[in-house]
Amino acid sequence: MSDGTLKFDRRQTPPWTYTREQGHWDEAVRPSGLPRRHWRQLASALAKMGAREFDQHWRNGQQLIETNGITFNVYDDPQGRERPWPMDPIPMVIDDGDWAFIEKAVVQRATLLNAMLGDLYGPQNLIKNRHLPPAVLYANPHFLRPCAGIVPPGGVHLHAYAVDLARSPDGWWWVLADRTQAPSGMGYALENRLVTARTIPQIFSQCKVRQLTRYFQTLRDALLGIAPGNKMSPRAVILTPGPHNETYFEHAFLARHYNFPLAESADLTVREDRVYLKTLAGLEPVDLILRRQDDSFCDPLELRGDSMLGVPGLVQVARRGNVAITNALGSGLMQTPVHMAFLPGLCRHLLGEDLRMPSVATWWCGHDEPRRYVLDHLQDLVIKPAFPRYDRRATFGATMDKASLSSLRAEIEAHPEQFVAQEKIALSTAPCWVNEQGPAPRHVVLRVFAAWDGQSYSVMPGGLTRVATSTSSLVVSLQMGGGSKDTWVRGNVEDLPTPPVLRLARNTAASIRKGSDLSSRAADNLYWLGRYAERVESNVRLVRVMLPALSGEEDFGRSVSLETGIRLLVAFRHLPKEILQISFNEQRRQMERLLNDMVYDATRTGGLSWNLKQVRRAAWQLKERLSADTWRVLQQLETDLSRSAPTRTDQRLVAQLDLLDSAILTLSAFAGLVMENTTRGPGWGFLDIGRRIERALQMGQFLRHGLTRTDLSLEALEAMLQFADSSITYRTRYMTELRADLVLDLLLTDESNPRSLGFQLATLSDHVQKLPERDDSHSRYPLEQRLALKALTAVRLAKVEELAAAVNTSGLRDELSRLLDGIQSDILDLSEALTAKYLTHLTPSRLISSL
Amino acid sequence: MLYRATHTTTYRYPQPVSTSVNEARLTPRELPSQRVRSSAILVTPEPASMATRTDYFGNIVTTLSVFEPHDQLTVTATSVIDVLPRQEWLGMSASWEETRDMLSSQATDECLAAYEYLCDSPFVSRASDLADYARPTFTRGRPLLDAARELTARIKSEFRYEPRSTTIDTPVATVLEKRAGVCQDFAHVMIGALRSLGLAARYVSGYLRSGADYQGSEASHAWVAVFVPNSGWVQFDPTNNMIPSEGHVIIGWGRDYGDVTPLKGITLGGGEETVTVDVRVRPLSE
Repeated sequence: MSDGTLKFDRRQTPPWTYTREQGHWDEAVRPSGLPRRHWRQLASALAKMGAREFDQHWRNGQQLIETNGITFNVYDDPQGRERPWPMDPIPMVIDDGDWAFIEKAVVQRATLLNAMLGDLYGPQNLIKNRHLPPAVLYANPHFLRPCAGIVPPGGVHLHAYAVDLARSPDGWWWVLADRTQAPSGMGYALENRLVTARTIPQIFSQCKVRQLTRYFQTLRDALLGIAPGNKMSPRAVILTPGPHNETYFEHAFLARHYNFPLAESADLTVREDRVYLKTLAGLEPVDLILRRQDDSFCDPLELRGDSMLGVPGLVQVARRGNVAITNALGSGLMQTPVHMAFLPGLCRHLLGEDLRMPSVATWWCGHDEPRRYVLDHLQDLVIKPAFPRYDRRATFGATMDKASLSSLRAEIEAHPEQFVAQEKIALSTAPCWVNEQGPAPRHVVLRVFAAWDGQSYSVMPGGLTRVATSTSSLVVSLQMGGGSKDTWVRGNVEDLPTPPVLRLARNTAASIRKGSDLSSRAADNLYWLGRYAERVESNVRLVRVMLPALSGEEDFGRSVSLETGIRLLVAFRHLPKEILQISFNEQRRQMERLLNDMVYDATRTGGLSWNLKQVRRAAWQLKERLSADTWRVLQQLETDLSRSAPTRTDQRLVAQLDLLDSAILTLSAFAGLVMENTTRGPGWGFLDIGRRIERALQMGQFLRHGLTRTDLSLEALEAMLQFADSSITYRTRYMTELRADLVLDLLLTDESNPRSLGFQLATLSDHVQKLPERDDSHSRYPLEQRLALKALTAVRLAKVEELAAAVNTSGLRDELSRLLDGIQSDILDLSEALTAKYLTHLTPSRLISSL
Repeated sequence: MLYRATHTTTYRYPQPVSTSVNEARLTPRELPSQRVRSSAILVTPEPASMATRTDYFGNIVTTLSVFEPHDQLTVTATSVIDVLPRQEWLGMSASWEETRDMLSSQATDECLAAYEYLCDSPFVSRASDLADYARPTFTRGRPLLDAARELTARIKSEFRYEPRSTTIDTPVATVLEKRAGVCQDFAHVMIGALRSLGLAARYVSGYLRSGADYQGSEASHAWVAVFVPNSGWVQFDPTNNMIPSEGHVIIGWGRDYGDVTPLKGITLGGGEETVTVDVRVRPLSE
């Protein structure tokens, strides 16, 4: 057993074996091959379970990741799609003694970095008294001069801190990197925990793992505590760069967990040195901003002018002390690796104590002696920009050829202060579940989180362990495809119960009803979610009605014949008029191609998959507002519709019908969930308004093209009824042959039929009356109410017999056309009026400079 | 000499602008060499808010926001400034190498304070071609002021003053290559050349008295100040090959144009705007 191989199990098959890698510290296994003390319980529990069963459990865990929509966006993914969160099911366990040390070291480091921020953005005594070379500050583009002199609430700059730790072969912990800008990962850490707790619940509870949730509570309370004005219920928002950001999932996650609205820059506006959230009820003052975007992107006026992100004037609001921003603007300064070279001295100077945990050895080339060392040892070091920039990555001297080494040397000599060199650390390894055979060692880096708790820093008991992709890979990066692990700190002490919440965020019942909690952007997305979901449904229904025409089977008049199908598709302008002149077989081929493209062609604007993509886009931006069930249904819908067309044409029809049938069911589930599980607030209102407007438009179009012509056969009427899912109603109600006036009655005026135009208009009229009123409207009946009422009244006053009978000389029901055209234009005006009044207008902002 | 400076900037937009948030650095600083008798900024349409503060470099900044829809924005800054005669005599100075070494070791607190203007800034980074351009002038052991005076003269004679040949975003390298630009570009070239040799230089924004046969008086003007140990910051105007004196009104300074942009703003809506700038600096008799 001295070969470093641990046999997890003696009795069961297949046995688990785990061979540690020589030359690295292994987190789980001693060089003798026996598990370390703190891993023993987990190792034996896993052994008892056996690899096969564990793999079974893990499949469930992966399912959970999938259905919960835990994702991580990778910037260079050509699909631009988010990926399932890469997780490894074997937790990382940390020894109590180690943890006590890590905790103290992280608190000390956060305290130190915060003190440095206070000085560098304040009196700069560290520079004046020559504790820090001036270039380290003044050449650093992350030093934001407009933020100098701003004293953040309570003097605390750094509220959320994260640090990446690594363990060297001798077992010592080292700091690899500081994260002081807008540290990400804690939401993922909590998700990892939820997944392990559900994947291996018994083992999890046996091991008495310390809970993470209390940390989130502490952070939330402390944050609300720093909001200016000492309000009982400050308003907080989470500022996100938007759904394309790599960690958008986490932004949405925190928004939901903290119950703070998620806002993008354009949702905020500055007036009179205060920052406001644009909501349905108007502008609502914001007291606290949890920013998840880099500080230099937060204000295009004072910070980066080329930024399309950001709230113009935000720095001034912070300067006036009218908003708390966490971390304070400018905090990104401390995450530049150049500071690491100076921390030991600064720690003694500022805190009067030695730095507890060393940083990875760092040499700043701006000083002669370290530069000489670096140039002499280029092959052994990692060379990094001293002040990170997006266009530069770390380079490993060991992997460079002669030519690139000498050009690097020249660069360092020309701009020495721009470079630091760091020692390579042989990262420790931990067992990872690489395939169902069992675990293998992978390099790990531990990200630990600390939060300002009002007095000092609290450390999250656990963290995010990140894993390299292969044994040989030393680069641990989620951007580059690594994974992560749940991280267990074992509790000797019982965790205290969650303390009572002292402060409340402003999401009071009244404000939710009023709509002052719903940002205009969220309302806009809800509106479009409703519209596109309905559009998908109408697409599906149309194709489903038309498909049987291709089968060539007469179904006793219950399905559409090819001729009628073609005529309807021409009337709806899906097919050109000229098709009526060509041969039967050619007509059939064209119709087949059209229906096929409508279902499968992702590039077809207005096609099924295109509309579905819009649904997804809107839903993703509303991630924090959709329930897990709703999200699952949307995932299902996408799975339904992403099936590719069968290659054999004779199977195509059946496959298509099958696909459409299941899509209809999933869409009904979505509609049902929204209907049954959503409180009837303004948010639901906008979703339903979107749905009703779209359905009214679609139905209007259908009636306009299908019923205003008298040359269409009765089959066309049948097709209309089927499209509107009203065929059975018609038969049971009228018990007569198909008649245009009766079809009109059912689909136009009958307000009890949820598919009729009348029903949509009545519902719309009801919705718009309930929308929050803006103080700035003067009219007794605002525009949107008048428009809804106008369209509804037109339908109510319509006489279906007369409309059906009024046929002009060209055989067209021209009165019906006029009525439907009028309603159509009222609905479009209504949509515009709602957008203008309530929903965000995203006119791009630009920076203009003059001489 | 007493002046009245009037600086009018007008933005015209093809479509209405709903929101406009601006920062103006149009108020001259109070300095030993100039007294500001009065200063005012007028904006139409009337801004919803206007506030004044001092920035990181000690310049006076006015923030102004307009929230009513408008298709034209006019900002007029008017100041009455008394510019005192300055010593035009350039005394003895240390050699440029000695200055460079003092800066690099931050030999005195004064050198330490000047160090910020030796570092790269967003518009001006050190580069070998800038150093190469300056090197023939910065011969071994030459007194710094002497060399800086010659560099000023060379830029005036070797670069063409060509309005509209560059924009604010034209990199210094391009200006150096084309040997053409306007006062901002020449100031940036000179600052870049000095920094590339290890010297500290800053960008001065201001006005030039009108009427004289100078270039750059029809708009706001820019020139350079060089750090000289024991003497402080000595100004040079490479656009006109002169040492600024009674004819130059200082608004403020920074590392480069970006720190002292006279007027910048963020607008919502508007489309492609047209900007007109009118600057008049007239002597007043007491």
